[in-house]
Amino acid sequence: MKSIFKNNAAPVIKRHMIDRFQDRITYTSSKLILTIFLLLVAFIGLIKNVFGLTDYLKNVSFIYQFYLDIAHFIWMPLVILAIPMIGGLSQIAFGQRASSRRDRLVIFMTFLTIILIMTMYPQALSGGLEIRFPEVLGIGIGFRIDMLGYIVLLITSIIWFLVMVYAHEYMKKENKSTRFFFFLAFTYVSVLGAIMAGDLLTMFLFFESMTIFSYMLVIHGQAEEAYKAGQNYIFMGLIGGFLILCAILLLYFNIGDLRFVSAITKLDGLGNLKYWIMGLLVLGFGIKAGMAPVHVWLPRAHPVAPTPASALLSGIMIKVGAFGILRTATSYFFPSKEAVSSYADPIWLTIESIGAIIIWFGIITMVVGVFLALQQSNIKRMLAYHSVSQMGYIVLGIGVSLYLGYKGAMGYSGAIYHIINHALFKSLLFMVAGVVFYHTHEADMYKLGGLWKKLPFTAIICLIAALGISGIPLFNGFISKSLLHHGIVEAYTYGDKMFFFAEILFILVSAGTVCSFIKMYYYVFIRKTDRNYDHIKREFSCLDSAMGLIAILIVIIGVFPKLLLNEFILPQLRLITFDPDFIEHYIVDAHFFTSEDLWMTVLVVFLGVVLFFAGSKFHWFHIKLPRWFSLEYLFFLPAFIIMRLICRYLRGDRCPIEYSSYNLLNLKNDNQTGFVDRFVITMKAFNLRFEASIIKSDALIYTGFITLVLLFMFIFGRF
Amino acid sequence: MIEQLPIINLLLLLGTALIIPLFKKRPFQLSLTLCFLVLLTVLVSSVFLLIHVLEYGEFYYHFGNHENLIGIEFLIDAFSAFFTVFVAALVLVIYLYSWKDKTEGIENKEFGRYYILLFILLFSIFGILYSNDLFNTYVFIEILSITSCAIISIKRKKETYTAAFRYVMLNEIASMSYLLGVALIYMITGHLNLERVATSLQSIWPLYSTNIIIAIGFMTIGVGIKAAIFPFHIWLPDAHATAPSTSSAILSGIVVKIYILVLVKLLFRVFGMEIVEALHIKWIMLILGSAGMIMGSIFAIAQKDVKRMLGYSSVAQIGYIILGIGLFTEAGLQAAFFHIISHGIMKAALFLSVGVIIYYKHVQKLKDFEGIGYQMPISMTVFSFGALGMVGIPLTSGFISKFNLGIAVIDANLIFFLIIIILSGLLNVVYYFPIVISAFLKDNKEMQKIPHIEKVPNIMLIPILTLGVAIVVLGLFPNLIMDIIVSVVATLF
Amino acid sequence: MIILQKILENINYLGGIALFLIGLHTVVTHSNLIKRIIGLNIMGTGVFLFFVAIGNVTGGEPPIMTEDNIGAIFINPLPSVLILTGIVVVVSMTVYSLSLVIRIFETYGTIDQKELTRLISEQNNHD
Repeated sequence: MKSIFKNNAAPVIKRHMIDRFQDRITYTSSKLILTIFLLLVAFIGLIKNVFGLTDYLKNVSFIYQFYLDIAHFIWMPLVILAIPMIGGLSQIAFGQRASSRRDRLVIFMTFLTIILIMTMYPQALSGGLEIRFPEVLGIGIGFRIDMLGYIVLLITSIIWFLVMVYAHEYMKKENKSTRFFFFLAFTYVSVLGAIMAGDLLTMFLFFESMTIFSYMLVIHGQAEEAYKAGQNYIFMGLIGGFLILCAILLLYFNIGDLRFVSAITKLDGLGNLKYWIMGLLVLGFGIKAGMAPVHVWLPRAHPVAPTPASALLSGIMIKVGAFGILRTATSYFFPSKEAVSSYADPIWLTIESIGAIIIWFGIITMVVGVFLALQQSNIKRMLAYHSVSQMGYIVLGIGVSLYLGYKGAMGYSGAIYHIINHALFKSLLFMVAGVVFYHTHEADMYKLGGLWKKLPFTAIICLIAALGISGIPLFNGFISKSLLHHGIVEAYTYGDKMFFFAEILFILVSAGTVCSFIKMYYYVFIRKTDRNYDHIKREFSCLDSAMGLIAILIVIIGVFPKLLLNEFILPQLRLITFDPDFIEHYIVDAHFFTSEDLWMTVLVVFLGVVLFFAGSKFHWFHIKLPRWFSLEYLFFLPAFIIMRLICRYLRGDRCPIEYSSYNLLNLKNDNQTGFVDRFVITMKAFNLRFEASIIKSDALIYTGFITLVLLFMFIFGRF
Repeated sequence: MIEQLPIINLLLLLGTALIIPLFKKRPFQLSLTLCFLVLLTVLVSSVFLLIHVLEYGEFYYHFGNHENLIGIEFLIDAFSAFFTVFVAALVLVIYLYSWKDKTEGIENKEFGRYYILLFILLFSIFGILYSNDLFNTYVFIEILSITSCAIISIKRKKETYTAAFRYVMLNEIASMSYLLGVALIYMITGHLNLERVATSLQSIWPLYSTNIIIAIGFMTIGVGIKAAIFPFHIWLPDAHATAPSTSSAILSGIVVKIYILVLVKLLFRVFGMEIVEALHIKWIMLILGSAGMIMGSIFAIAQKDVKRMLGYSSVAQIGYIILGIGLFTEAGLQAAFFHIISHGIMKAALFLSVGVIIYYKHVQKLKDFEGIGYQMPISMTVFSFGALGMVGIPLTSGFISKFNLGIAVIDANLIFFLIIIILSGLLNVVYYFPIVISAFLKDNKEMQKIPHIEKVPNIMLIPILTLGVAIVVLGLFPNLIMDIIVSVVATLF
Repeated sequence: MIILQKILENINYLGGIALFLIGLHTVVTHSNLIKRIIGLNIMGTGVFLFFVAIGNVTGGEPPIMTEDNIGAIFINPLPSVLILTGIVVVVSMTVYSLSLVIRIFETYGTIDQKELTRLISEQNNHD
């Protein structure tokens, strides 16, 4: 009897479980997420040598052998790149018909990537993984893993995996999900490649492909708005790419080597050119990172993409831009460790002036981002503006680390830490916005309200993420923000006193962030409305399990801040030319929950709450900037009018340039016509005017030019 | 035996052109196969010559054993051998494609004539490349002009006549200019052989400055018209828009480049660096090249016809090549030569993939390209690769040429032109990306319903796939040909 | 007087250049296609004249070797020979372009360049 019962019970329970989990993949992926969590715990445990576990395992010979094998397997970057690529290609084979099998494949592929990345830890720690392919692209490409890359890589792969789990559920409601997953896989390859890149050319290669592949994600919805945003996205992205290409050309010509090694001694001999190179790099990567004057694509592109894509765009891809600035600035422009021993060395002067500019860029980005975020009503658009603002924090950290040079370890670690933290909470916030949209089909926060009753789990998750981004103690944002705050304080202690104002702005921006998230949380979850959400069913799906793990990670990092700092960031700091004493003194012994920092937080929260009440009382959240303040208006309209005047003067009434196209360029319409469209319209007018007449006067052009050329040579020729 | 290979190549090509009419009564397949075999032989022998030349150095071929004072001379060095290989290989691919592409306006009975013209064209190209004699080059240039006009106007459509007429007119003016230049040089040197002219010019050039200035001006502009350098590009868009796709591919990928090579020969081998520097030819070419890069793209933006747009894009890309040559440095010339190759491949891929679309859908306007990617995934993918290459995205050969050109420009300390290169790349984005996007992403419900995907003969798809693969392979491993180009450039300095 | 002397000495060359310019002028100013072709031919003639004139040697004899004139100064025969080829080429070009003009006349009913441009642009705008 007993055995029969046993045989029957298992399937019954299993089916019951599956019913609760909605479908099979939810069940398996929840198991996988649990596995990942346990693996992470084990991973950290092994790294930290808890209970002497690592030492014990090292004594077991076959495990030690395995460890050695891993530690010497240098082709791992290629394997890691190959896995999503194979996954992406084989997804096409499954296609839409076998969508659940396809999704399972996607999830397993990303899962495998995490495990492989974890096994690279020994190599990354020793900093010894460097492979090169000298023939490819003429001057060779290469991969290199150090702790800076490794930590970003690890966090990327974890978030990517969770977003894939999330996407499985979410994409059921979207069309053409195979195409989406295909391009997502290739975007993943590009992101991994850009992070693992061993030289600037490799980074650029993957960076460009990331722009192109992720473009397909942005316009996935294929709405008119998506095309507009996508056009902006790809043009800005490619402009950034070309700027980086310029910097690559200049660097390659002057240094002859694009690997990330110190080149400051050679660069110092270049005069102003080195500032140009750095400026091109900062601007080029800054476009992708959403830095202030060139952030315009970001708030348009991120909201229109499907939520999994916008979570990744905001969570991961803009970090690649910041990562690029960090990598290039701290390699080419930092002196090598042997060459320098104090911060008074004149070699730091270059990097110091660059750093000062970057700090201000960061501050402007923070302010602009948070200011515009406060005015948004669309949740995803608000989050996108917060991405801009948070990228400002990261850029600030980079700037501080460059500005202080030898003592810049604080800014550097703050920047890395914030890259990780922002990746976590911003992707989580986008996922929350996605869940809200998934259930209500509403993205305007003023039209929502009272959702905490219907979506309690999501509400809790959102609270955790909001506390994280606001920098509340015990959540992860607090850690990196206090690191960055220390950084900016150091900047005005050791350097220019002007940065005191930067600190004030820093506090105000943090307050604005707090206010913004109080507002969002209030309008979406707390506020009472007469809307009813009876159609929302409470069930546990992939969406929730994916969000759960990120929330847990946010809390873990917030409670144990030293974990990341000591095991991942410190080894990298020691590799870079920072003052070892400074590191030992300030970072190894860093105390996070000091009364000073806590009071600062109280101040920030207080300001935020005041701002929120004041804002909702005086309707500050609905201020709009005047429209004419845009490049599009300032440049193309005059160009068009001048051309039309010339044309009318030359041809009278037969002028082919019509007034109707003028209307397209007109002031009222500028929301519909993008920058590029305006350019194209102007060019078409130009073409209509000149093309036919140039072609008609063939022999005349010949005569004219031959006369000109002969005259030129007779006059300027040296005989 | 190896010394006879160049003339055997020429005779094979000319002979095939003469033989094709004899097979008129036979099944057409027979002459197609014969042509294929001839092209393959020519390719193999060109490769053989290239290897020989790289190994043992250059050699001369004297017609009738007359010495070069009175006789005609062929020079087979790395330069000519390399570019003949390129021409033969590209023509072979385009030729394979043209087997089935009969519908595009060429009538069936004209199809044989098309191949006659193609082979005469190829014959004259080989002649121009091998020839080491100014007047002989002129004769070959004239043959090339007539045949290339003829393969444009072979289509019995009314637009072709005006386009071809404009081309003939400009070609004729250009030939006259070139001949006038030859006459002026012959007047002061008494030679037509390139090397003899060069040696005597070196000693006498300060004495006859007027002659040399007029000669160099007329010859540069004359060849420039045929090479479609910017303000003389006038004939090109119309010719490309109306010609059959194979003709456009040959014209844009090969013929135009041959004239550029003639220009290179004139400037580097005949006049030499001393005269070029004294007359500031550098600045003329740099300005014309960069003007072409910008203006070609600007005109391309507004086009409604895809082939016209590709024509204007060629104008812009020729600007890159002229810019590279105009630097008059080794790095610049290497970049220019690499771009000749990579642009040849990319433009051929673009024109042929458009040709497949025209063959299948009979549309040529850009607005008809919406959603065409669903129906014709292969050809649109190749088109996209070509477009990415034109923009200069990494992993395509276009990136390598842009990279090399950028390095060359910095090397010559003319960073201003780097800005132009970048700007031109961005303009390329403006007109290439919308096509790709509208082809793949704009939904067209009617198009998706059609069940038959790409019912095109395989013999048309294989060549364009080959070209697509070549774009990526060259983008990944440019050193495959860059090493040869380095030795080619070494022969010119 | 010296200038006149110079002109007289170089009358061949100047004639060639003049023909070239006259031809070019015709091509530039006329819109009739046949007139433009004729202009091209005049240009060609100018160049040929110039080329042949180079071969002239003052007081030279025609380059036909007979028993009488061994050791005499001959006119350079090479330019004349080359120009023969050139003339053939220009003739074929002319024939080809004239045949195109016939086709153009058949399809458009005009051989005026301006008229043609108008017709074509109308047709393009119509699309």
